[in-house]
Amino acid sequence: MTPRRRPGSTDRRTFLKTAGAVAGTAVAAGFPAVLRAQAPTVKIGTLHCVTGPLAEPGQACRVGAQMAADAINAAGGIKSMGGARIELLLGDTQTKAEVARAEAERLVNAGAQLLMGTFNSGDTAAVVPVAQQRRVPFLVDISAADPITANVAKSVRDGQQKVQYVYRNFPTGTLFGQRAVQYFTEIFKEAGVSPKRVVVMHANDLFGQNQARGFQAAHKAANPSWEIVEVISWPEPPSDLSTEVSRAKAAKPDVIAPITRPASAQLLLPEIAKQRLDIMGIVGPGSPGLYEAGQIAALKENLEYVMASNPWPNFKNARTRQVAEEYAKRSGGKTFDTNSGYSYDGMFVLADTLERAKSTDPDTVVDALKKTRFTGGLMVYGGPIVFNEIGDNPNAIPAMIQILGQKPVVVWPKDVAAEKFVFPRPKR
Amino acid sequence: MDLTLVGQGLLSGFLFGGVYSLMAVGLTLIFGVMRVVNFAHGDMMVWGMYLAWLLSARAGIDPYVGFLACAAALFLFGLLIQRGLVERIVDAPHEMQILLMLGVALVLENAALVAFGPDPARVRSPLSQATVWIGPIFVDVARLVTFGLAMALTAALWLFLARTDLGRSMRAAADNPYGARVIGTDVRKVYAAAFGVGAACVGAAGALVSPILPFQPTSGLGLSVTSFNIVIIGGMGSLPGAFVGGILVSVAESMGAVFLSPSMKELVSFGLLIAILLFRPAGLFGKTAG
Repeated sequence: MTPRRRPGSTDRRTFLKTAGAVAGTAVAAGFPAVLRAQAPTVKIGTLHCVTGPLAEPGQACRVGAQMAADAINAAGGIKSMGGARIELLLGDTQTKAEVARAEAERLVNAGAQLLMGTFNSGDTAAVVPVAQQRRVPFLVDISAADPITANVAKSVRDGQQKVQYVYRNFPTGTLFGQRAVQYFTEIFKEAGVSPKRVVVMHANDLFGQNQARGFQAAHKAANPSWEIVEVISWPEPPSDLSTEVSRAKAAKPDVIAPITRPASAQLLLPEIAKQRLDIMGIVGPGSPGLYEAGQIAALKENLEYVMASNPWPNFKNARTRQVAEEYAKRSGGKTFDTNSGYSYDGMFVLADTLERAKSTDPDTVVDALKKTRFTGGLMVYGGPIVFNEIGDNPNAIPAMIQILGQKPVVVWPKDVAAEKFVFPRPKR
Repeated sequence: MDLTLVGQGLLSGFLFGGVYSLMAVGLTLIFGVMRVVNFAHGDMMVWGMYLAWLLSARAGIDPYVGFLACAAALFLFGLLIQRGLVERIVDAPHEMQILLMLGVALVLENAALVAFGPDPARVRSPLSQATVWIGPIFVDVARLVTFGLAMALTAALWLFLARTDLGRSMRAAADNPYGARVIGTDVRKVYAAAFGVGAACVGAAGALVSPILPFQPTSGLGLSVTSFNIVIIGGMGSLPGAFVGGILVSVAESMGAVFLSPSMKELVSFGLLIAILLFRPAGLFGKTAG
């Protein structure tokens, strides 16, 4: 029954409708204010190979990233963004490129405003197109293959892409090669010996090939007194390296220069010992597999005196030592190393960038990233963390590590060395 | 060409062939008797490796002794899988078999991941580093022992199939399942035994290989692919085929590494596969159609 309406008055239904509309608008308008009262978060997609053949270093990276995010949040978050907290969205590449790509997409769909990862060059290269297409700034914490940044830089220069979203705080294969050749020559000179024949043995994946190429190119450019007489590679992970080592032996090497992964190192080093190669030492131009806690536990005396030119934490820095202690507690006794360290520094670089950008808008973040001049890194650097026109950090440098007393120590360059190197290695 | 290198390559390849043969024997047995392609082969082998690792790390039992326990454990596992799962799809189209066994492979791989973690593991045996030198050529003692044990196990399997009643029933069921049923063979029991024995071989292979190869839960796929390669080359269902195929593939890979380049090893073994499929598709010892 239609109620009679006196002019100027409202009936119950109309009153309820109007009141409801007003209330709804107030809530809708007020709601963001309610949210604003809580601290905002910045979501950083953190993608590493925590399972698969490269699981050990991948897990170290993830723990390093988590520790750094916790430290940043405990110190008040991103102060210029109202104390925004860093929230990590974790992803696992399973050490497979196609999974890496899918995971990167998933993280971006879940709201990741920045990406960091992945340790494995092959997986990182698969994530680059996602970062570029979805316009998500991607900081490569660890991956050496040059094309990762170089290809993007080139396509921006050629006008095919507008903005470069991929930046790397880690030495490139080229830089690894240059430093390795330099360290080899310096160490041989300091030791007072002149080995002539070096045999390079490397894993055949994207990283290994790139490293080997970088080392050979640097050798050609520097033209030192030692020669690379043979280059032997294997499909990674290998099931048997006896023929490869026999071949190396036939080349009569003075030094073996391995570029390995954890699985291949576990096969290569015992095989070199078994076949009784008469060499001055094993000196790697830079690769995993030759310093990790799990590798030392598995290889024991086969890893003693092995050298590798790898990026390493600067233990002369008191803060590094503190973080290393905390890492040992959180990881069940593992050593703070290349992988945990660079992921830790990577997270701090992103926080510093956000402080200066004051926003998560991709192009603003990229502008801030390009202007980075960060001196708070824990690793051995040749200067502040900066990014060049290709997107790489030319100050990210390796140091020569040697396993002495079943522990990895920095032995070269002299100014960051903790102990004197042992070369040639003692005869068994 | 450095003759020492060639000689060493031949010897290493031949001895490692024993390992390959042992891997392939279990696979070919299951296919030969039941016409089931065991896609979980590699992952079962990885479990054999992890069991050997447990025995070595927790109980101090050397894998060259412990492999019997691994074989027994996987035999039981094989029986369970057969009775519980495979039995239902023995007469089903091949697609269903493939899906089922791939499913089993996935479960095994991830169970290993949960149980043992993703890091590469290795069994340390006093034999792992031992070598015997004949002039400039060395013999890897671990591989020599594995080769010997692989030969012994294959011979034992051969005797079992030729001389025992259960073995003969298996061969009968393989040749003609319907006929076997007609003469009163309990085909279910035969199939269960075949799967169990095949699994036991794989378990033994895993244990014997564990000091030689570093392994992870994800190693299963690579091992499956290699085993399939060997079995197709040797002839599916043929025991001598698996044995000869294993040695052939290993020597071919070794020679490829010596004469071409070590990174082209797999090119040689897969090239061999293609050649066999082109010229003798049933495999070297396989029964040709018709």
